[in-house]
Amino acid sequence: MKNTGKAVKKYWQLYLLLLLPLLYLIIFKYIPMVYIQIAFKEYKIGMSPFEMPLASNHGFKYFIKAFSNKDFLNALRNTLLLNLLDLIAGFPAPIIFALILNELTFKRFKKVTQTIAYMPHFLSWVIVSSLALQLFAPTNGFVNQIISNFGGEPIPFLNDPAHWVATYIFMGVWQSFGWNSIVYLAAIAGISPELYEAASVDGAGRFSKMWHITLPGIRPTIVVLLIMNLGNILGSSFDRPYAFQNNMVMNVANVIATYVYKNGIKGLQFSLTTAVGLFQSIICVIFLLLANWISRRLGERGIW
Amino acid sequence: MKKKLVSLLLVGTMVFSLSACGAQPAAPAPEASDAAAEETEEAEKAEESEATEESDEAQAADGGELTDGKFADTRHITVEVYDRGNDGGSDPTNNMYTKYIQEGMLADHNVEVEFVAVPRWTEVDEINNLLAAGEAPDICVTYSYATIQTYANMGGVQDLAQIVEDTKADCPNLWDWLGETNMYWDKSPVDGTLWAIEGKRATANRINTFVRQDWLDALELKAPTTKQEFEDMLIAFRDNADTLLGKDAAKMIPYSVSYDVGWRAGTLIESFIDPEISDYDYYINGFDDRKFTQEGTKEAVKLLNKWYNDGLMWKDFALYGEGDTTEDDMMKAGYVGAFTHNWDYPFRNGEDSINANLQRIVGEDAKFVAIDPFEDSKGTHTKFVDSTAGDRKIFFPTTNDEPLASMLYLDWISAPEHIEYLQLGDEGVTHNKLDDGSYEIIAATGDAIQNSGFNIDMTITCNGLHLTDSNLTDLTTAHSYANIDPSLVQDADKIAKTDTRPAKCVNVGEITSESGVGEALNSKRTEVYDLAVTAAVADFDSVWDSGMADYLSAGGQDVADERAAKWAEVYGDTKSVPEMK
Repeated sequence: MKNTGKAVKKYWQLYLLLLLPLLYLIIFKYIPMVYIQIAFKEYKIGMSPFEMPLASNHGFKYFIKAFSNKDFLNALRNTLLLNLLDLIAGFPAPIIFALILNELTFKRFKKVTQTIAYMPHFLSWVIVSSLALQLFAPTNGFVNQIISNFGGEPIPFLNDPAHWVATYIFMGVWQSFGWNSIVYLAAIAGISPELYEAASVDGAGRFSKMWHITLPGIRPTIVVLLIMNLGNILGSSFDRPYAFQNNMVMNVANVIATYVYKNGIKGLQFSLTTAVGLFQSIICVIFLLLANWISRRLGERGIW
Repeated sequence: MKKKLVSLLLVGTMVFSLSACGAQPAAPAPEASDAAAEETEEAEKAEESEATEESDEAQAADGGELTDGKFADTRHITVEVYDRGNDGGSDPTNNMYTKYIQEGMLADHNVEVEFVAVPRWTEVDEINNLLAAGEAPDICVTYSYATIQTYANMGGVQDLAQIVEDTKADCPNLWDWLGETNMYWDKSPVDGTLWAIEGKRATANRINTFVRQDWLDALELKAPTTKQEFEDMLIAFRDNADTLLGKDAAKMIPYSVSYDVGWRAGTLIESFIDPEISDYDYYINGFDDRKFTQEGTKEAVKLLNKWYNDGLMWKDFALYGEGDTTEDDMMKAGYVGAFTHNWDYPFRNGEDSINANLQRIVGEDAKFVAIDPFEDSKGTHTKFVDSTAGDRKIFFPTTNDEPLASMLYLDWISAPEHIEYLQLGDEGVTHNKLDDGSYEIIAATGDAIQNSGFNIDMTITCNGLHLTDSNLTDLTTAHSYANIDPSLVQDADKIAKTDTRPAKCVNVGEITSESGVGEALNSKRTEVYDLAVTAAVADFDSVWDSGMADYLSAGGQDVADERAAKWAEVYGDTKSVPEMK
């Protein structure tokens, strides 16, 4: 305790600097959490959440309502499914890309490739989805026009559920793999060149160096990112599915975020929305803790 | 405990205001406040001193508040106005027309008016935010009654029942213009509450079907008057794509429907509904405003499904969402043979209207004209149109502490000469007088620009052109579309008014199962419409039936059941709405 006081006194400027972000967190992240309780209450406008009457079923009315709703369960399934597929397809992609880039010796080519791969990251999902529409629409889409010109049948990239999922995942990987590879490239850059030299002396080829030096070298980074990704398995961004979905594929495209928007926000069911959001957050935290625990059991550092 | 207090207070207020009938506006409900403690206190106080407070106000507000229609001291009210964000429009809260209203209100009633802009296309969300924050304007306007009902249930909206009675003598123009129909439209028969006043639609025109006149001429076809003729025409378009479009033949779309099938095939769907359907049946299945649950709709969609699979419709329509202009662009480029849409759709937007574009891109004689091809079982062309109500609704949030001044505002903008000025502006600036006595709207500049057609955003009690002379209104409407032959507009207007059946006011109190489900059900409905139209012919029945089952189980059935029950409570066994008292 005494030490703490001393430290504060000694580094008071640093603590002062810390105060601002802390205030930000408290005001914008913690105080609003007071409203979490409306998940358990009957929402009334202009009333403090502490004053609102408790919802029926010991306050769990809205959780029960959500879980007895077919659309919510469907959204839950879709969220899990899309995020899992995203993880499977999207997680290895930047690692592989970083490994390949690292092996390139021609510096300028490497730089150009990298820059081009980053570009899609700066496009919003609205634009990416419009691109998808321009490319993949059944009759007006560019790709399908080429296919029909060669006498083929148009592929329903966007209007058939299974195809839609594939398109959705593909566009996601395309948009983000370049950007996500930056972290790995940085980690690779941190590996001591002596290790590679020693391996060359021992007669290791390109692939054994990749397998035995590069990959283990970036393993901590991979694990941390995997944990963070797993923590997000039930979380979902709103703009990506919302921009991509259309009426033909709703049974696979309806995710929790869009469900909450349509039923909760637009339908003015704030308690229901909060209940769903709370459930989502709790599951995410559980996944995060679980993944962290597993990684520590496996001898990795984890995120804490 | 809290709930009890508030309900006690509300009941008390209601009982009292009923007994003090005709005295003066009821005391505004306590302001929605963030500080709960404060509110509790207020509620308690209000409850204790209910009687004294009310009678105090009774004297203060009694008639004496106004001398010659004017307040002794200047009052201040805020009024919502839509911000359409149009390029080069005028400031919605400060332009020639707002100044006209502000000056008029100050001179006539000693009331200062301040306008609050709310973005038109996100109005419901925006009003939600303002209401939730307790910062909503004193006079709010919205198209969504559900929003009002929801906030009324949460205690955020003033009950107007007493206010409109008390101010009746001071608001002759309002009552003349809206009539009892619109004033009382939303009055609950159960508890007598009135959360909103219905603005009036000046025209009930809804949907028309349009066809390319030049294509009909080229193929020597007559305008179709039945579904069969319409289908034959579409087939002729499809089969003669080479003649009609040349090298663009592959882009031919004989009949175009998009995103909102229920609206975009509205007249076709309505033609499958029994033209003599009882008010009861129409109401019970009438929650969905796209006729999804009405008897007959399935048959209509089945026909669309057949057309879709026969290559008579736009293949990709379901991928393009609301607000996408791809379809409009195809109409303008001349690839579309026929479509169904708002009654004046191809004439709208002046230089950029569909017909104006067609003339520029395709040729002088290329144009869409209105037709009336979908016959019903009686051989007529029944169109289910709205009544004068059911459009924009005006309500006062509980934060409004100037109900009388607000009512006077509504009265002022309902005066015929004020409506006319707001809609026409000044001669030579916003309109020219034509030889036949009607008016032609001209492009205005600066402050005089009307941000909405005929300034309907300023005349919130009146949606659509309404001049003091009704003949001139029709003529002026026909002249109001820049670059469009007025006779085309008159024809479309005539067709839109053929065999109309206006909606009756069925008011059986709040249907509780409707609250909160609207959005979810609407998106389900559009989904099922799209899936059913695009399904393979063999799958149509199963797609439609399972979609309908899903819709009903998600709340559609509850709504229908509750509507039936409430109908029986209020109207008994009769199947038609009794005449209003």
